[in-house]
Amino acid sequence: MKQRGVKVAEIKEAELPGLGKKYMVRLDSGERFGIVIYDEGNRELFFFGADEDEPACSVTFTDQEARQVGSIIGGAFYQPKVLEKLEAAVAELHIEWLKISPNAEVAGKSIGDLAVRKKYGITIVAVIEETEKGKKRTAAINPGPGYVFTPGQTIIVAGRRDALEKFERMVTGEGG
Amino acid sequence: MANGLLLNFVLVFAIISAAILVAYRFRFCSIPLLIFLGVLFGPHAPHGTFFDFRLVKETESVAVLGQLGILLLLFYLGLEFSASKVIQRGTTILKGGSIYVSLNFVRGLALGWLFFRSWPETLVVAGITTVSSSAIITKLLVELKRTANPETELILGIMVFEDAFIAVYLSILSGYFMTQGTSAAAGLVAGLATLAFIVGILYLGRFIGPFLDRCLNFRSGEPLIMVIFTLLLAMAWFAEEVGVTEAVGALLLGLVLAETSHAKRLIQLVTPLRDLFGAVFFFSFGMHVDYRQFAPVASLALVAALATVVGNFIAGWLSAWTCSYRGRAPVNVACTIIARGEFAIIAAGLAGTSAAAKIMPPLAALYVLMLAFVNPVLARRTRWIHGELEKIGRFFPRKKAGSLSG
Repeated sequence: MKQRGVKVAEIKEAELPGLGKKYMVRLDSGERFGIVIYDEGNRELFFFGADEDEPACSVTFTDQEARQVGSIIGGAFYQPKVLEKLEAAVAELHIEWLKISPNAEVAGKSIGDLAVRKKYGITIVAVIEETEKGKKRTAAINPGPGYVFTPGQTIIVAGRRDALEKFERMVTGEGG
Repeated sequence: MANGLLLNFVLVFAIISAAILVAYRFRFCSIPLLIFLGVLFGPHAPHGTFFDFRLVKETESVAVLGQLGILLLLFYLGLEFSASKVIQRGTTILKGGSIYVSLNFVRGLALGWLFFRSWPETLVVAGITTVSSSAIITKLLVELKRTANPETELILGIMVFEDAFIAVYLSILSGYFMTQGTSAAAGLVAGLATLAFIVGILYLGRFIGPFLDRCLNFRSGEPLIMVIFTLLLAMAWFAEEVGVTEAVGALLLGLVLAETSHAKRLIQLVTPLRDLFGAVFFFSFGMHVDYRQFAPVASLALVAALATVVGNFIAGWLSAWTCSYRGRAPVNVACTIIARGEFAIIAAGLAGTSAAAKIMPPLAALYVLMLAFVNPVLARRTRWIHGELEKIGRFFPRKKAGSLSG
């Protein structure tokens, strides 16, 4: 949990014997928040103003609530429209959401044809489609080599950053 | 007769449940309440012509459950204590913890000497007053929403340090009393012998650990808890045989098992048992206490409580200061680690053979109750206390005032 990419927030981890574990996140704004995961399962979030040692407010989640809220924040339910791609990063691992453009190289090809894993060293986690009503629907989770991409779908891929960038060009059709 | 026994159990657990429910409702630690209710409804309870509070009888079965309670409390403590965690946190715990514990211990010794002017009692008083109650204090931290504060790491670190200290101290103390306090030298030798016993068990544990790891590899929880419980009883018996208090035996077993890969699973299995029987332990401790004996020890308990609050404030503040906490954090540390609980009671129970054995339990009970009420009050007002301290700080040269607010 020491050094990461430039963009990523600074997170400090600390053991709280008898209580659980604490993560302190320093935000770009200088504000911090603490996440305490209690051994009994609850999570408590504390907000600290810049240069404050006492929390201004806090909120407690049950285990179930925390998981749901966590996946909402992580973008599993909805991705903000402003961001073309959502990027989650855990150390070396990057996860990206890529929308297949009509002139993309990958459109109409199968995962096996593209030899995604062999050539790029990345993994297709899932494919998401948009229905006519504009709602999102999972087309395939962990698709096999026979799966064929169609334009308009969104691919969720995981891998190293450089590998992802190569693949991204093929999906968005830029420079390909 | 059998009916009477069951009825007694029903009453005991009804009162304990009531205490736990009330404590849960008010987010307060149940230990002081359990002791208080034990005093109120035990065999020494108040009774008159129109009322009789002596609801529960002191039967052997309740005593056995209480004894299991203390074994499980300490076994759990050992399981949770991980040497690697302490080493990982390193110097901060070592610095803050040693300052805090040594100052408090010296203060405890001084207090004991002032009260009794004899070594056995002094050692017991030091045992009662040195180590704070992690159960009460963790509850308090959660309730005051301070778990994410920077100084909370130090508070919990100090608590871990205290656990290590009290394990060693209790065993030396129990060894000391095994010699019936014939002479200080004999006591010291016995104390050192128990220390050797502890180190020996822990050393052996390093070799037995991997072996136990393989032996305890059960899929289902049933054989695991059975074997562990048997081991716990055997260890307690063995410790008592060699002249160490059974509680230390349980603690040692916990420490050995904490290094195996089953520690997490064991903690999960043992926690409900500890909750169940631990509550009986505190309640039955209260039952042994006669409130009529409070009067002669009230002044002692009050002095002890006052000295603890003041001494603790200084020790806590200093250790936080040396660990480079500034602003309100040292005050928070100083005002939070005040409560005494489980260890005070265990230490009081050890006084069995000393001359003042009779007054130790009521003294400890009253002392624990007092501090249990003072602690939340002080901990809630750290903002005000910090403000007042800053005001006082302004009378001193600038440098000091600056450092206080820094």
